[in-house]
Amino acid sequence: MPREEYQVPTATGASASAISRGATGGERHDSRAVMTYICGDCGGNVTLSKDALVACPHCAGRVLYKERTKRMVQFEAR
Amino acid sequence: MAPSRHSAPSEEEQLRRNTVGINKETVSNVSSTDFPGHFPGEDHAFSIDRFKSAFSVQFHRNEPNDASFSLVGIDASLANAFRRILIAEIPTLAIEDVYIENNTSVIQDEVLAHRLGLIPFNGGREGIHNFLKWYKKPEAGEDPYANSFDWNTVRLELNVTCTVNPDASPTETDPLKAYNHAHVYAKDIVFVPTGRQVEYFSGENAIAPVNPDILIAKLRPKQSINLAMHMHKGIGADHSKFSPVATASYRLLPLINITRPIIGADAEKFQRCFPEGVIGLEKISREEASRPGSGYEGHAGELKAVVKDTMKDTVSREALRHPEFEGKVKLGRRRDHFIFSIESTGQWDSDELFLEAVKHLKLKCKKLEQQVINMVQ
Repeated sequence: MPREEYQVPTATGASASAISRGATGGERHDSRAVMTYICGDCGGNVTLSKDALVACPHCAGRVLYKERTKRMVQFEAR
Repeated sequence: MAPSRHSAPSEEEQLRRNTVGINKETVSNVSSTDFPGHFPGEDHAFSIDRFKSAFSVQFHRNEPNDASFSLVGIDASLANAFRRILIAEIPTLAIEDVYIENNTSVIQDEVLAHRLGLIPFNGGREGIHNFLKWYKKPEAGEDPYANSFDWNTVRLELNVTCTVNPDASPTETDPLKAYNHAHVYAKDIVFVPTGRQVEYFSGENAIAPVNPDILIAKLRPKQSINLAMHMHKGIGADHSKFSPVATASYRLLPLINITRPIIGADAEKFQRCFPEGVIGLEKISREEASRPGSGYEGHAGELKAVVKDTMKDTVSREALRHPEFEGKVKLGRRRDHFIFSIESTGQWDSDELFLEAVKHLKLKCKKLEQQVINMVQ
């Protein structure tokens, strides 16, 4: 099962420097970087740009959760 | 040459030696004495012929998931070896690796993986016992799937997403009706045959949970679980999920010896000291009542307590608490009568499991024999 390399969703696409910095390499000061969150109140998807107000546009809920990793996670059933 | 058994012990003496005494607060005569040199002039050397003639097996119950039988005329060391092999050394197939793509349920990934591992599975016996072989975990740095083949790895998948049920009334409060897939059950696990597994595990032989209604997780709308699992063979000594038995235990046959008659109201009280069916009540016959010294004189027609079925006794010692039964009853257990109880988790039949345990012990003995031979050479 090939593990696909996780790409931080950025508008510029993955550059060689982003890969070398690993999964946390997304801390890039790109104003167009958009992150998707999940609203704690309504469960809907919320996309926030860098300077946007932290609130759900659908229900104004202020609790947002980070999305789970898109990578496969392996566990031992023990 | 061993001395002949000219001084074979009497029947009574034999019974005494074979009885573990159960007293009010103590247990007596606990160790077996049938080994060479313990009784002067008696031959207790182990011989296969003597074992064969004294040994017997009686089945009490034989269902796929629950078997009970007696082994009579065997030493505790052997009976215990069988029990331990049953629990820890007979291989079964269980979920070992869980590859979680997505899990947005409230149950954490590691807990979910652990729960999945404990689900017992069944499938075509020929495939599970003979086709599937041991899996060797790859070394660190090796390709993690280098050792995964169709003959040692079974792939399962679980993909469930909870959605709102559009047909349900808006006031519905039961999550099972209001949502689709609110509960994730073991039956939602899908077997994905690979390679030659199709030959062994198709149709009714497919790998499937023994109990389809095991609850794995609960979901709410928009939550989902997507994962794949790899099953491997393992033994109970490694992890109890591989143990083929729910319980495998034995107890010694209880003995109840009424030494002096228990009559009338006492007899009824005596009966209530034991589980149902252990003690029966019988009318004292005229003949018994007329026999002097029997203890029944002048009690013709009254009830007396008789032992009916000691197998059902739990040996609670309740009868020993009451002063009216003092000196009238002796409790004990038969040292060489093992009542086995085996409950299979489903991958083997319970009786088949015991035969497998015997096979395992035999194999161990053969290995030991070879080692002893090597030692001598």
